[in-house]
Amino acid sequence: MELELRNIHKSFGDKKVLEGISFHTTAGTAFGLLGRNGAGKTTTIRILMDVFPSNSGEVLIDGKPIDYHAVGIGYLPEERGLYPKKKIFDQLIYFAQLKGMNHSNAAKAVDYWLNRLGMAEYRNKRLDTLSKGNQQKIQLITALAHNPQIVILDEPFSGLDPVNAMLLKDVVKEEIAKGKIVLFSSHQMNYIEEFCDKIAILNSGRIVLQGDLHEIKRNYSRDRLLVCSENKAQILADLGSCCTENSDGSLMVQMASADAKQDMMKKLTETYDIDSIQVFEPSLNDIFVEYAGTQE
Amino acid sequence: MKQFSTILKFELKSYFKNKIFVGVTVFLMLLIAGVMFFPRISAMLEKRDSEIASEQENSAAEIADGQETDNSSGDSVIFVLTDIPEYEDMIHQAFTEAFPDYSVVTAEEDFAWIKEKVAEGWAECAFVIHDLTSYTYYVDNLSMYDFNTETADEILKNLYSINAMSARGISLEEAAEILTSPVSHETESLGKNQAENFFYTYIMIFSLYIVILLYGQMVATNVATEKSSRAMELLITSAKPASMMFGKVIASCLAGLIQLTAVFGSAFLFFNLNKSFWADNTIITSIFDMPLELLAYMLIFFVLGFFIYAFLFGAIGSTASKVEDINTSVMPLTILFVIAFIVVMSSMSSGSVDNTLMLICSYIPFTSPMAMFTRIAMSTVPFYQIALSIGVLVVSVFGIGIFSAKIYRVGVLLYGTTPKIGSILKALKKA
Repeated sequence: MELELRNIHKSFGDKKVLEGISFHTTAGTAFGLLGRNGAGKTTTIRILMDVFPSNSGEVLIDGKPIDYHAVGIGYLPEERGLYPKKKIFDQLIYFAQLKGMNHSNAAKAVDYWLNRLGMAEYRNKRLDTLSKGNQQKIQLITALAHNPQIVILDEPFSGLDPVNAMLLKDVVKEEIAKGKIVLFSSHQMNYIEEFCDKIAILNSGRIVLQGDLHEIKRNYSRDRLLVCSENKAQILADLGSCCTENSDGSLMVQMASADAKQDMMKKLTETYDIDSIQVFEPSLNDIFVEYAGTQE
Repeated sequence: MKQFSTILKFELKSYFKNKIFVGVTVFLMLLIAGVMFFPRISAMLEKRDSEIASEQENSAAEIADGQETDNSSGDSVIFVLTDIPEYEDMIHQAFTEAFPDYSVVTAEEDFAWIKEKVAEGWAECAFVIHDLTSYTYYVDNLSMYDFNTETADEILKNLYSINAMSARGISLEEAAEILTSPVSHETESLGKNQAENFFYTYIMIFSLYIVILLYGQMVATNVATEKSSRAMELLITSAKPASMMFGKVIASCLAGLIQLTAVFGSAFLFFNLNKSFWADNTIITSIFDMPLELLAYMLIFFVLGFFIYAFLFGAIGSTASKVEDINTSVMPLTILFVIAFIVVMSSMSSGSVDNTLMLICSYIPFTSPMAMFTRIAMSTVPFYQIALSIGVLVVSVFGIGIFSAKIYRVGVLLYGTTPKIGSILKALKKA
């Protein structure tokens, strides 16, 4: 199965919120939708989920307009919230039924997920008796219980302790392995790097960068060297403004172009006592800051 | 449709699991049971007290100095003390006839003792008659509804007139006949008898008012709670706003109807169990003697009126980000409803339910559920007017339902300060 958003435009009055959003992703992969607050991620997700229509553009499944009755979508919103005063089991059943399940299948699925996430003991408790992290796990069940083909997770790891984060990672990996389309939206880039094969960075309603994460990194300008050496002071003095010291004590050497890297590596290893030297590959965080750092 | 029924069931279940909802319903049913069984219980207690009453009778007979007391039924005692012995028998007879529920005791002395007995509550009251044109009335606590002096005035006036006529040569019998010549009359209402219909119309209008306002507020609070708890984020991506809105409103309408049926149904049941004890109470019997046709109209106007207001309450609830904002947001709608209620109530009290204002209110969907129903109950309304009023209401329910669903769809996505009407309408255009 392939999900494609094609040239989505959305305006609220005179304000253009989305301007030609297009991306596609396939089953069994995770796609990272990145962007600063107000970049248009939630609007994109809401259009994808048919909360409101776009002004133009299409949401396609395998090249055809999406049929929301046929394609299940699970959503973990960034703004968490369920019914605090109602029994956990009752409200999980309710949301599963709203997604089209009958009562007995919904009950089976909810029980499975309560056990899977270690929450079975809270089945008949009220939601507001649970800790924030546990409430988040309950909310995750609303996104997964009806076994959707598309899972949208908006900041899924925020508020989780390391043990629960590990549990959620396993669940996400299982969902990807089951052949589902997982759409990630997060500001925690380490999780995006861990799960996502493809990413799209939104800035002011436009996609400013998208593609395969590894390729993006590989194609990133390779004109910097990361150097660790005992002769830091000497290198800094010799190379002047071309060399800066990183916070971890390593040195960043800026070259005129990527073509100069062999010569520069040779020069450095021959001249100084070098512990390690490599071409600098930016983290997703660096890429994000570069592309989403300034809003238009 | 499946989503709608899921939401309807969930919301309805929430009402029935709500301890306050169940508690209030059971409390009202018990209260009604208490009221309806009261005459039966009171009759049972009266039987037990009959011995004490007979003691009272004996004691009254003793102090009446051997005179006839006629207190065999254990009725309250009225003392009559006269300064005109020649009329004593006549006065005693007249007071006994005029106060059939009392035991009239003619005392001749011990005035201080009589006052003491009245103050103690042993006797209901005492009349000290100085002559046929003046007397003093003694009573412990003078009730707002004490009309004994009016009765006594009438008795003495008659006696005085008979006496005067007798002095002018007319025999006592003739004089009495002239003064007591009976006048009979018959009343035939060609339309409705407002005096009979007033109480049940009042009860129904009041129930309509309370239920619509209460459940309307509940719908608004319910929506605002979902929004403030952010459950709405998940709901709007799980169900269509129209299903959510209609599911909620219809569930609350059903809950209101079920509560009304439970309360009025139990009242009807308990009344019928104790019907014989209520036979003398024309107000209560008139309430339960309501025509079925009127009940059907009540149902129609309740449901339609409920929808009109509940849709709007739901739409307003969707625009509030916090539950605390609800009271302020719904105030204009509440005021509108209160005005409709005041117009109807004041027209009912004045007895003129077909005045121009009521006529206009009968066709305005916000006021017609109460105004037209009152007119149907208390007056004779041509059928075409009823049909027109219901027709306008039905069309308005659909119109307001669609309009409210649109506001709801936009409102649930708006966070921050409660938007003004203008900005909501703008958002409606933009969506």
